Amino acid sequence: MAEQKTIRLKIRRQDGPNKPFHWEEFEIAYREKSNVISCLMEIQKNPVTASGKKTTPVVWECNCLEEVCGACTMNINGQGKQACSALVDQLKQPIVLEPLTKFPLVRDLMVDRQIMFDHLKTVHAWIPIDGTYNLGSGPRMPEVKRQWAYELSKCMTCGCCMEACPQVNSRSKFIGPSAISQVRLFNTHPTGEMNKHERLAALLDEGGIADCGNSQNCVRACPKEIPLTTSLADLNRETNKFALDQWLRK
Amino acid sequence: MSTIQSPYYFLVRRVHSILGLVPIGFFLTFHLILNLTALGGAKQYDLIISTMQSFPGIFIIELVVIFIPISVHAIYGTWVVYTGQVNILSYKYARNWFYIIQRISGLYTFVFVIIHVYLLRFGEANFSALSQFLSQPLGLIFYLLGVLFSIFHFTNGLWAFAITWGLTIGPHSQKVWLYTLGVVFVLLSAIGMSDIFAFLK
Repeated sequence: MAEQKTIRLKIRRQDGPNKPFHWEEFEIAYREKSNVISCLMEIQKNPVTASGKKTTPVVWECNCLEEVCGACTMNINGQGKQACSALVDQLKQPIVLEPLTKFPLVRDLMVDRQIMFDHLKTVHAWIPIDGTYNLGSGPRMPEVKRQWAYELSKCMTCGCCMEACPQVNSRSKFIGPSAISQVRLFNTHPTGEMNKHERLAALLDEGGIADCGNSQNCVRACPKEIPLTTSLADLNRETNKFALDQWLRK
Repeated sequence: MSTIQSPYYFLVRRVHSILGLVPIGFFLTFHLILNLTALGGAKQYDLIISTMQSFPGIFIIELVVIFIPISVHAIYGTWVVYTGQVNILSYKYARNWFYIIQRISGLYTFVFVIIHVYLLRFGEANFSALSQFLSQPLGLIFYLLGVLFSIFHFTNGLWAFAITWGLTIGPHSQKVWLYTLGVVFVLLSAIGMSDIFAFLK
């Protein structure tokens, strides 16, 4: 791979949500250990296509550059990935860059992932500790629990699982694996557990846990290797118990 | 996700899941095993069918145990298929294939059952009628696919059933259950194939 003189990229360009799209190819000088972001930066410096046509710089989002913020998530050779940790030497060329398809497009490779944050609100993915007086310290968390719960906390709301999930699409209201896994995280926390009924109730609704289709693409697509399918199965058990209990107490 | 709770959404989805096993899955298994009697020849088979059909209240049993559950499962299932998406070209994983085949087999079984019931329950239900139908190559393929797809849909459905009901939670238990169901699939398929070939004599 080191002999390669150039890096070829094929990028889906679109000026706005309701504008037509077209493909543009770029060829830039090979540089060792490049990632997709560095290629996009190179194009930004000199926005000329492979055929020599002058064009506008490609629009994309990035922030942390170390695969913890999720902002640069895009479809790279057909799969959702972070552009920062997508290394050119490991990718087939031309590297095809497309925006995520499950979110409203802003421009070029930039999408609006607001729905993911809305879903976190829907499932109450936080621990309410605000009060009018000092509530004191909460209960301790057992170390064994903390260890696996920490894995769930690595979620950066990047959208890779949403992109891979066949149940997340315009015909379905499914909130996706990430928000559901966050329910497990906050319900495991000893203080968060005090409000677990609110989160479980939210999962019973349309778009909640019952809409999972068990394709298990999410767990393969997750860049943080979060055991999403384990969270889904665990919450299936929890929501079943919760729904039955709620019904029997009516 | 709507802000108003739809209290029946979760329930309907769980009812859809349980109907796949009770009674549909049990009925399918019983149906496949019972048809092995065709191996004993036309006379024996026709006798058993006429005995079954002369049970008092057979119509009520068929309605409650077979017709209504299958209709509910199939109609709701068709809606579930509609809410899904095919993305196998980008995500070529075995489980993603299973996800798609589960939906294809469900739709095929829906059509198969309608024709199967129309021909044999409301038509002439005897050995020679089915024998004649299966002697045509297209009829045979239609039945082979119907039997294999319905068994696949049942066994793969049981795999998801164990997740839906929170029985298999981790990847290891899901894998063990997968292999177990693989054996069940082979066994039921062997029975199903024997059923079909009994009518080819």
